[in-house]
Amino acid sequence: MEDRQRLYPSLVRLYPSAFRREYGDDLVQHFADLAADRGARAAWTRTTLDLAITIPRYHLERIMTEQHSATTLNITIGVLATAGLASLMTDLYPGVIGMVLFVAAVALAVTQRSTLARALRVPDSRLRHRRLRIGAILAGVFVTSYVVYLATIGDSWTSTSTVLTIIGTLAMFGAIGFLVAGLLTPRTPDRDQLAGTG
Amino acid sequence: MTEPDPTSFLPLPQAQFHVLVALTEGERHGYAIMQAVETSSGGVVRMGPATLYGTLKRLVDQRLAEELARRPAADDDQRRRYYRLTRLGERVCAAEADRLSGLVRIARTNLRPGLA
Repeated sequence: MEDRQRLYPSLVRLYPSAFRREYGDDLVQHFADLAADRGARAAWTRTTLDLAITIPRYHLERIMTEQHSATTLNITIGVLATAGLASLMTDLYPGVIGMVLFVAAVALAVTQRSTLARALRVPDSRLRHRRLRIGAILAGVFVTSYVVYLATIGDSWTSTSTVLTIIGTLAMFGAIGFLVAGLLTPRTPDRDQLAGTG
Repeated sequence: MTEPDPTSFLPLPQAQFHVLVALTEGERHGYAIMQAVETSSGGVVRMGPATLYGTLKRLVDQRLAEELARRPAADDDQRRRYYRLTRLGERVCAAEADRLSGLVRIARTNLRPGLA
């Protein structure tokens, strides 16, 4: 096997482990067949684009599977939105980066709304209470930071103001998100109800 | 178990439909599927290895295709995995073919003669 053909099995390692375990040998065999059949150049021409498209795509699909979806999505959206807002408010990075991160968070939430909605529709009283409790705590953080902000605000913008603004804004968005999610989460049906419907 | 409604799978992504069509001719391994797709599409659809196996994975997950437990030809490379259509896969493939032929009919009717 030529050196360049030995590269392909190494690149196959970049696929998600589950896909690699299931189809890794088939991919390598397929590439070898392709190279033997059409030549190495044709094999690489076809495979390079395939690698460029499918490696990120399959990783994204793995993230979006039912098992990982809701939690991973929420964390991803939260991290993107937080980084975006922090960047916008602190001017630590050019505003465009903050805007891109924030838009990415919104786009992810919009495109994956059905997955998020499905996760919200699962009846779970404990999860409902937890979401509402976190929402209430974040609402408290928001109110506290706002009161402190009003009490400490002066003529000039200080680093304390920046920190309070970031904490308050994030707590506000978080409180809204968790309270809405908590209210939309159905309670677990009572055993009596289940027996009645069963 | 009741079989899902074939129309609930429509419209099929292009790659999935091409692979299903390739499997209508019989059991095939991955490389043969790729060759059949190229032939049936007149060379327009050229699937890379991961696109092909990703598509096969989705078809197997949706129970439209299945992997054969045995190799059809004893002298063939035993490492190759063969796939075939399931009954549901056949029905979905037929439903997609009907949908597309209806679309083609409309296009042919509406377009000026000579264009379609």
